[in-house]
Amino acid sequence: MANTLKINQPSWFSYTRRTKWASFTIRYLIALVLILFAVVPALWVVSASFNPAKSLIGGTLFPKNPDLSNYDELLYNDFFPYLTWLGNSIKIASITTVCTVIITCLAGYSLSRFRFKWRQQFMIAILILNIFPPILGMVAIYTTIQQLGLYVSQIGLDSHGGLILIYVAGSMGINVLMVKAYIDTIPTELDESALVDGATPGQTFRHIIFPIMRPIVITIGVLTFIAAYGDFVIARVLLKSSEKLTVMVGIQLFQTDRFDQDFGMITAGAVLAAIPIILIYIPLQRYVIDGLTAGSVKG
Amino acid sequence: MKTANIKLSLFNYALNLGVMGVILIAILRVILLLYADGLYPLASVLSAIAVFLAIIYLRRRFTPVRWFGIGIALALLFTLYPILYTFYLSTTNMKSGHLMTKQQAINQLEDQTYLVEGDQSYGWTAFVNPGGEYALWLMPDEGAGLLAFPGEPLEEVPPGEKGVGELDEDRIPISLEGYERLPQNKTVAIIAQLGEINFGEDPNIVRIRSLREAAPLKQKYQYDSDLDAVVDLETGEIYRPIDGTFTSTEGAELAPGYIVFAGVKNFDSFLGNPGFREPLFQILLWNISFAFWSVALSFALGLVVTLLFEGLPGSRIIRALLIIPWPIPVLISILIWRSMLDPDVGFVAPVLESIFGSSPAWFQDKNWTRIGVIMVNVWLSYPYFYVISAGAIRSIPHEIYDAAVVDGAGPWNKFYHISLPLLLRILMPLLIASFTFNFNNFNVIYIFNFGKPAMPNTVVPMGHTDILISFVYRLAFITTNVTNYGLAAAITVMLFLLIAIMVVFQARFTNLFREVD
Repeated sequence: MANTLKINQPSWFSYTRRTKWASFTIRYLIALVLILFAVVPALWVVSASFNPAKSLIGGTLFPKNPDLSNYDELLYNDFFPYLTWLGNSIKIASITTVCTVIITCLAGYSLSRFRFKWRQQFMIAILILNIFPPILGMVAIYTTIQQLGLYVSQIGLDSHGGLILIYVAGSMGINVLMVKAYIDTIPTELDESALVDGATPGQTFRHIIFPIMRPIVITIGVLTFIAAYGDFVIARVLLKSSEKLTVMVGIQLFQTDRFDQDFGMITAGAVLAAIPIILIYIPLQRYVIDGLTAGSVKG
Repeated sequence: MKTANIKLSLFNYALNLGVMGVILIAILRVILLLYADGLYPLASVLSAIAVFLAIIYLRRRFTPVRWFGIGIALALLFTLYPILYTFYLSTTNMKSGHLMTKQQAINQLEDQTYLVEGDQSYGWTAFVNPGGEYALWLMPDEGAGLLAFPGEPLEEVPPGEKGVGELDEDRIPISLEGYERLPQNKTVAIIAQLGEINFGEDPNIVRIRSLREAAPLKQKYQYDSDLDAVVDLETGEIYRPIDGTFTSTEGAELAPGYIVFAGVKNFDSFLGNPGFREPLFQILLWNISFAFWSVALSFALGLVVTLLFEGLPGSRIIRALLIIPWPIPVLISILIWRSMLDPDVGFVAPVLESIFGSSPAWFQDKNWTRIGVIMVNVWLSYPYFYVISAGAIRSIPHEIYDAAVVDGAGPWNKFYHISLPLLLRILMPLLIASFTFNFNNFNVIYIFNFGKPAMPNTVVPMGHTDILISFVYRLAFITTNVTNYGLAAAITVMLFLLIAIMVVFQARFTNLFREVD
């Protein structure tokens, strides 16, 4: 196996010339199976959404007479306000994102630049709280929101305000620490020269630090948006009336209720609901992956 | 940088003061209302938040904390408080029928009224205006008629005043200005609607009791704080509090009941009752194996993808195709899988039938549902493991492999003795975190098949694919007969403890807390 001694051999396997082709064939075959596993569900739902037949798609992956009738029905039906749901989701996710970014950036800056009592304990508390998934609190969150809603209906049950507050509170934790870690890498000389020139910490943050935080702001923004847009359970628990629902809750309820009757419409709804996230994901993929794998590989 | 460098101008200080003042007054108002209704836990956490905000925004010493004051307030209210409140709820009887505090229950009871029987009744005639508002002309057995509008005091009005027209032979006005008199046959159709309206002003309310009769409405119950009991003002019966319900000596109960301390009753109901404990233990076992196999298989698949396609021509395209599941929202993906596996609309059943002659019952058979749910979860999460293990593998220095090759190691040995142990070491914290996440992966379980198929003959509805958190959801939010928040909270407390154990475990594998500085 002398030929495997090349230092820059990138592969995990070493080959003799003869086994190389056999290995390639097997690997491509496995790749094919895995690609089918990955791609077929997505492909199938898109094709079903263009299939005018209401049910019984059977084995055909490509419909015979594709058209937009399912989408037509989806947008102009009498049973449920799909576009309202989609609008609600985008609105809720956007407001959550803006609030989260502002709050986490300010908190991260303070934790990175100021030294104060309990600072360390505070960060440990964030880590510990962050470990318990928010879903565990659903009974308590439901009753809390219900009780608040008795007096302030804007943040009560069946309100978007309450939902947004919970999303913001839930998405701060680890994001604050990510921002803090990012600001740690920005040299303090930048702040100090600004302070020497007479800027307040607020101005320093606004004009000097925030503009160079762009990558982390995008990462956090995208992750928060995706999480808020895609949340199911908290929205399901808190929202009641049809015109208040988010698209995820709406589509799930609709699927449970009218699966057999309106299968084509449901697939169209699924495709449309996925589009905003895919539109965000494709150009910003790098930031998403950075965020999700942050801290994972430290060697 | 020293805190002392920070100087706030007077203007800033005044601004802080003003904004904080408005926020604090708003919070204070809610606190008072909560307190009046007996919602003490929420009232106290809001008080704590108000004090905290006041201190940090008004004392210069706490300037650095101001930067995340609102953040802390939100985290206290919606992250920390729910955890504590869950523990509190687990020791109460909160369930349907006992959803409010004692004070709220009393308020609701005191709002109940009854129509006084006996001589104090009136004959009535209805009038309606074009806006659909009603007025009544009330005729006592003796004496003059009364004019009654909703929300205004009853009044004796002689004909000619306030738009009241001439009286007919029954001493009822023929007309009322702005209103139209309703003949008897028309009132029949709207009697139910009319019966809902309170005419007159508190406390002299009159309601329609029948087609012929209207009568004054009286408060039915009154709370007597000396007796700590509710008195029925109509019958004189006394209802004393027993286990969160006002109960009479004969055992009659008043609804609504209220929340009281229940000690360990909730825990006892599932730990002390074998008919409940055993299926719950089944759920726990499945919960553990669901999380384990989800993580193990996703990690294995992610690793296989990393290793097999490294250095393969076209690997970039292969990888791009393989991460396709990633950006699709989880809920949508699960719904797609559910539809694909559905025997009526999906294509999987026909394909499997044409190959094997039969197709599994993905949603009815307990084992196939479990396989299905794990399969879907692997599909959802392997791209993540692929990306992180690809990163981790690149961080393993090449020299190690070179040295191994010199010693005669083949590909398998390189993988088994070098890559795998190193990867596990690097990724262990993430694997444990992922286990914790999947341990509570409500979405996959609930959306795929609602935790079904149902277990037969259980005390409360449970499913074969239910995990603890989806069972909690069932108890609290799926109102088949009784929602039981106290019990749901008690099971959540067990979940908190399990997760705390996992965290301790995780802390051993990672410098989780030492990293912070």
